[in-house]
Amino acid sequence: MNKQLIRLAVTASLSSFLWSCNQSDPTPKGNYVQGVFVINEGNFSQNNGAVSFFTREQTTAEADIFSMVNNAPLNGGVQGYAEIGDLGVVLVDNSGSGLDKAVIVNSNTFETVTTIGASEIENPREIVAAGNKVYISCWGSNADYSYKTGYIAVIELPSNRFVKKININSGPENLVYNNGKLYVGTVSYGGGKTLTVINTSTDEIEKTIALNGAPAPIGIDANGKLWVSAGTQAIRMNTETNTAEATLAIGTDQNKSASNFTFSSDRKTIFFVLSYSDANYISHGETYKFGITDAQIDVNTPFIKRLFTGLSVDPSQGLIYAAVTPSYAQAGYAVRYRTDGSLVDSIKVGVAPTGFFFK
Amino acid sequence: MFNKRKLLLILSVTTGFFVSENVQAQSDSVGLETVTIRGFAPERFMSGLKVQKMDSSALNNFRFQNISDLLSLYTPLAFKNYGHGQLNTVSFRGTSANHTAVLWNGLNINSPILGQTDFSTIPVAGFDELSVQYGSAASIVGSDAVGGSILLGSTAPAQSLHLSIGRQQESFNNSQTQLTAQYGKAIHPKHIFSGKTSVYDGRIQNNYPYTERRKYAILPSETFQRGLVQDLFFQSANGRELSAHVWLTENNLTLTPEDTAGREQTFTKAYRTMIRYGHKAFHFRTAWVRDIIDYAKGDLSRPDHAVTDKFSNRLEKDFSYAFGNNSSIQVKAGGEWTYYRAQVAGYVSPVNSENRSDLYVLTRLQATSRLLVSVNLRQAFVTRYNPPFTPSLGTEYYVVRNPEYHLKLKGSVGKSYRVPTLNERFWKDLGNPDIKPENGWNKEIGLEQNYLPDNHHSFYTSLTAYHNRVKDWTYWNASRNYRVENLQQVLAKGIELQAGWKNSSSEWKSGANLNYALNKSTQEKAYDAYSLDIIGKQLVFVPVHTGSFIAFIQHRSTRLTAQIQTTSKRFATFDNTQHLDGYMLANLLAETTLHLNKAKIRFQGQINNISDAFYLNVRNNAMPGRSFALSLIISYNQPAKIKYF
Repeated sequence: MNKQLIRLAVTASLSSFLWSCNQSDPTPKGNYVQGVFVINEGNFSQNNGAVSFFTREQTTAEADIFSMVNNAPLNGGVQGYAEIGDLGVVLVDNSGSGLDKAVIVNSNTFETVTTIGASEIENPREIVAAGNKVYISCWGSNADYSYKTGYIAVIELPSNRFVKKININSGPENLVYNNGKLYVGTVSYGGGKTLTVINTSTDEIEKTIALNGAPAPIGIDANGKLWVSAGTQAIRMNTETNTAEATLAIGTDQNKSASNFTFSSDRKTIFFVLSYSDANYISHGETYKFGITDAQIDVNTPFIKRLFTGLSVDPSQGLIYAAVTPSYAQAGYAVRYRTDGSLVDSIKVGVAPTGFFFK
Repeated sequence: MFNKRKLLLILSVTTGFFVSENVQAQSDSVGLETVTIRGFAPERFMSGLKVQKMDSSALNNFRFQNISDLLSLYTPLAFKNYGHGQLNTVSFRGTSANHTAVLWNGLNINSPILGQTDFSTIPVAGFDELSVQYGSAASIVGSDAVGGSILLGSTAPAQSLHLSIGRQQESFNNSQTQLTAQYGKAIHPKHIFSGKTSVYDGRIQNNYPYTERRKYAILPSETFQRGLVQDLFFQSANGRELSAHVWLTENNLTLTPEDTAGREQTFTKAYRTMIRYGHKAFHFRTAWVRDIIDYAKGDLSRPDHAVTDKFSNRLEKDFSYAFGNNSSIQVKAGGEWTYYRAQVAGYVSPVNSENRSDLYVLTRLQATSRLLVSVNLRQAFVTRYNPPFTPSLGTEYYVVRNPEYHLKLKGSVGKSYRVPTLNERFWKDLGNPDIKPENGWNKEIGLEQNYLPDNHHSFYTSLTAYHNRVKDWTYWNASRNYRVENLQQVLAKGIELQAGWKNSSSEWKSGANLNYALNKSTQEKAYDAYSLDIIGKQLVFVPVHTGSFIAFIQHRSTRLTAQIQTTSKRFATFDNTQHLDGYMLANLLAETTLHLNKAKIRFQGQINNISDAFYLNVRNNAMPGRSFALSLIISYNQPAKIKYF
């Protein structure tokens, strides 16, 4: 569903990353100091997820940088990636129980530093960096698919110390960090309608906000407002009062679902994919956009007439990166668009790309 | 009108050619085969196709293992393995797991819901005879025989009493125990009763001393397997034969068993029962098979439950006419009717039933002493739609036929089809009631030679080339949320080379077998823009090259066997961007048998994966390294053999 951790990681950790960079060696060494990381989920039963990499000038990608550097695979689907300074954290979901993990790597060389596995990390979904900690949403064992075993795993860097689990019901999914607060959404089919706010200095739940649908926090806009999608609504919230300032309907068709929300580089426009499955189970959909001060969302005029499994904007160049998954049994593509929706190029990556991380 | 003696003669001649590489090993049971083979052996109408009968010494070496361990060494079949004791499906000549018919005494035992067999649930201990038939034989055996067929058979015992108990203990706390009794007695001057009762119990705990190899994880799993085989035969001097067969199996696989929240259990049970009756040219068979699959995750008390019943009846009549000196024609006309009933948790309606029937005429013309031609015709009928009419034509010609040297040219053209599985049609949302049966054409040509320079040596070589195009190949389409569609058209073509040598003298025996297969199996049709990336690419998990080499040397009752198998890289994605590396595995077996009056004690020691080779399964998890196994079989034989008529 909403695979937007990159955008989240970008939006939320960029400041801390830059801050960290300022503190450390100004010219880090490694092959992955600058460029675009692609998160590939792989085919679940084959455990063949990977992190692909290319520099912004390149038109071909290295499909699996972790295997290349470490002579060992990640051994699972890749669910997310975040960085704090010289350390990166890759979320790995294996099809077998007890083999999931968070792999901590040197963010410039991608060499393994250490691994945190079961029982701390089980069915990891998304990751976000906040200060000197990363927060990982996990579904837990969830053997009966009732989404009652979920939690947020907290890991401190660079000590690589597992701090704690914060229990969250209904399948914790998307994460946004802003100013000492972690906003936690839940997966659309988990049954929850509550956005959870965690205080990152105490790592305790500070508040829960009831909404009309399964919440997916999108990010903080140019005016410092939090955007959250809930069912077929996009909601602009005041982060001080935790109340909705505007609620925009994303069309009226209840069969369509909105996902992959991402901000433009100036954080004044939000792009998203609106999709549905027809009677023959073929997915259809297009990509739309709206402004943060718009009174309504236009779902009659697509911005790009295509469906993507991941969508992000490169904060430094402003290009839109869209992930295409032709099938779980072949390589996907990263397709780049200009901000006017015109196509730049397309780069073959790993299997089932769902997100991007820019540095 | 039915010349039984002549038929038996022809049968033993042709069987002899099919199995020429292991005539010696079979000599002690030849008298039996002529009696039991007549009712069900479809092989005799497979002229032009390659049929490989497994040697009894090979079956004996593998009697504590499952059938895939044996087939991956003796045939070019490629297995899609999920780990030791875990799901293991076959790719026969580059086709998918649905394209191999597995027949037990002539009855297709592929799971009706899955349309395939998990070979990890078929231990070698479950049957007496094993033949592998290459290429499409759908006109002879029906649906699923697209890439080939595996024929498992029960035979009436030779000994009036044979008892054996065996136990194998392997590394990683794995073991298997077997008990077998074979018995037979003349209950009347003109009636013979015989039978076999066998039980087996396998415990695969996979307690590896490591959790990963070369940084690839090993998925913990355990498998408990039990089975009971009961065969009863009544034979009369006037050609009547009545037999009853029961094969009950249980296979309980648990992934990550220690992890009570995330463990996954697949508990399969199969009840297979059959009664066969034959009198002269008439043959009747009735069978009932129940397959149960219980799948649970975490809490094992409330599994997803799937039950399928299959009730099958078959009536056949044989005709035989002789003309001229060396010419004869045999015809088998038959009809089969099968009723299926499935109760599966994920289906649209709680109970689904359907009827399938088949009418067929199989003919075998021995035109001259050198030329053999088979023409086979089959029409299958399935509730709601009909598979294609399925003809085949096969021929064999002896280019050279001397007592010491045979050279045979063979060729075959045949239509194939596969009736969609019950899952493909009835599964909620993802199944497709409109799915069409797959169909294809298989063409092959082969050369076979036997050279017997003296009484000690025999050489066997066979070379086969095939071209098998399958249309409307079904595919659980990932880009349509895994809904099943007739998306693909696949062309599988390749070459198979098999060579064997045997040498025997009074004290010493030795032999070697070499197998090599080249298989290109590619998708031919594009179905969306991105499928251009997969046109012409090798299908996933189908190696282009496979090879094996087996050699043994035997002095009296002591035998040393070396086995080597090798597989080239296997692609893991349809666009061939990812692959699993090729590998080579070598095993060493030593066995000796002590003869103590009427009892025999066989010791066997085995080192598997002797070089500790590293290889991966289809889950991208590591397979285990070197392992050891010791087995002991104590048997008692009453020397008197049963006197068949």
